[in-house]
Amino acid sequence: MSATEADSSGFAPPRPIPDPDSQGFWEASARGELVIRRCQECGYWHQPPREHCRRCGGPTAFEPVSGHGLLHSFIVVHQRAIPGLHDQVPYAIGLVELAEQPGLRITGRVLTDDPSSLEVDSPVTATFAPIPGTEWQAPCFEVASGDAG
Amino acid sequence: MTLRAPVAISGIGRTAYTRKSGRTTLAQAVEACRGALDDAGFSPDDVGGMITFQVQDSVRPMTVAHALGIDDLSWSADLNGGGNLVATCVSSAAAAVRDGLCEAALVYRSLNGRSGKRLGMAAEGIEVDGDFQFDAPHGYIVPPMWFAMWARRHQAVYGSTSEDLGAIAINQRAHALRNPHAIAREPLTLDDYLAGRWVFEPFRVYDCTYEVDGAVAILVTSEQMARSARTDPVWLAGAADGHSGVGWNNWEDLTRMYGSVAGPRLWKRTGLSPADMDFACLYDCFTYTVMASTADFGFCEKGEEGDFFREGRGTYGGDVVINPHGGLLSEGYIHGLNHHYEAVQQLRHAAGERQVSDAELGLVSSGGGPAGGAVIYSREEPR
Repeated sequence: MSATEADSSGFAPPRPIPDPDSQGFWEASARGELVIRRCQECGYWHQPPREHCRRCGGPTAFEPVSGHGLLHSFIVVHQRAIPGLHDQVPYAIGLVELAEQPGLRITGRVLTDDPSSLEVDSPVTATFAPIPGTEWQAPCFEVASGDAG
Repeated sequence: MTLRAPVAISGIGRTAYTRKSGRTTLAQAVEACRGALDDAGFSPDDVGGMITFQVQDSVRPMTVAHALGIDDLSWSADLNGGGNLVATCVSSAAAAVRDGLCEAALVYRSLNGRSGKRLGMAAEGIEVDGDFQFDAPHGYIVPPMWFAMWARRHQAVYGSTSEDLGAIAINQRAHALRNPHAIAREPLTLDDYLAGRWVFEPFRVYDCTYEVDGAVAILVTSEQMARSARTDPVWLAGAADGHSGVGWNNWEDLTRMYGSVAGPRLWKRTGLSPADMDFACLYDCFTYTVMASTADFGFCEKGEEGDFFREGRGTYGGDVVINPHGGLLSEGYIHGLNHHYEAVQQLRHAAGERQVSDAELGLVSSGGGPAGGAVIYSREEPR
């Protein structure tokens, strides 16, 4: 896709390798849709994805989630430790607990010009950004607007 | 369950810790292993077992054994993983000795952790599989980021601060000043700490381990061999692991680590308590690992870790001396096996200027986040 996948380090950012358990997540990401595997027997959500439920052993399938959650924690990356992302620093990475289930968490960039303004447990909403050199997108998060934050 | 047949550490060996060894991990492993054998007064022929852990950055036990002049091993294992496996290596070697698979086993860790593969940096142009594939696009794939994420949660829940993390770095640096083998021996003040550059906020550079090249080996022996060694035995009084595969994102309470599971398990098995420990070599890849472990293993309450260190409870004259050698933060990052070397020195009463007076019992923990373990060493033979 992008002709300029590499940053000043000369490399593209790390890319995911989909597998049979995760393929549906990345395919949905290309459509801008956040999906998580859910047990078709007991309704438990699994991220990272599992073929079968660790609670009841039932089969799982991808289902859409709201994309709403809370910023469980976050860091601000200053060190140029990741080739392909050297030009991005400083940037924030959030650990987001999704609204669908206590403890159901994913990580992603927090899109903000002012990482110092972020606060733990703030409401956030998922969006997507392209992953250079792939057809997929990565979930990112924006601090929810309005008085909820 | 306590460890039934007595097993002891009879020898310890190590290389210099440097920023650029110019040597192979094999050469360094062999030097450390020979050092441990010389220390005990044994020869390579006396060794039947060998175990290490590594992250594809080191050399396998069979290769080290061969280079030592050992034609074959009656027991060996090469574990794939990080600092969470150090206690596992020691307790597994002890189990092998106790079960008669070998009379003596070398545990070693050899790495070029500064000049070779650095665990805090990603390789170039990589593709990531498994559970970390979701963390790859934003580069959330190196340990300092995960520990910083957990530390931020602790700050939000308990109100802990940069100054609290700094108190841990300062405590350990003060200890390292009395350790000629430590790589970082410049005094560290709170002002110095706070002036340190951010790496992964809330971590500054002083929150991170001091990466070095080098190797450590310890020799685990049966009671009979321990009695014939030229060193005083340091006994293994107990061991416990707690390994969860839940991962860095979904562990329920980021203000606790594996020690909240392995700690109670270890105290129950041994009948000992935190108050019995004269010192504790707590695994310290980052300051926050010490913060969480100090409470998880029961040396203080959650949320009072900063005060614990500021008030001197974690140093000489306090409750328990935490990392008398300076730890991974200041002595150097031999991935936690150097903690065992230090524990043996302390319990031999051979730690020189930094000797913990009348040291009888010491805890050594290994790991961070959801997985790790710990052992207790004793100067007296456990009954």
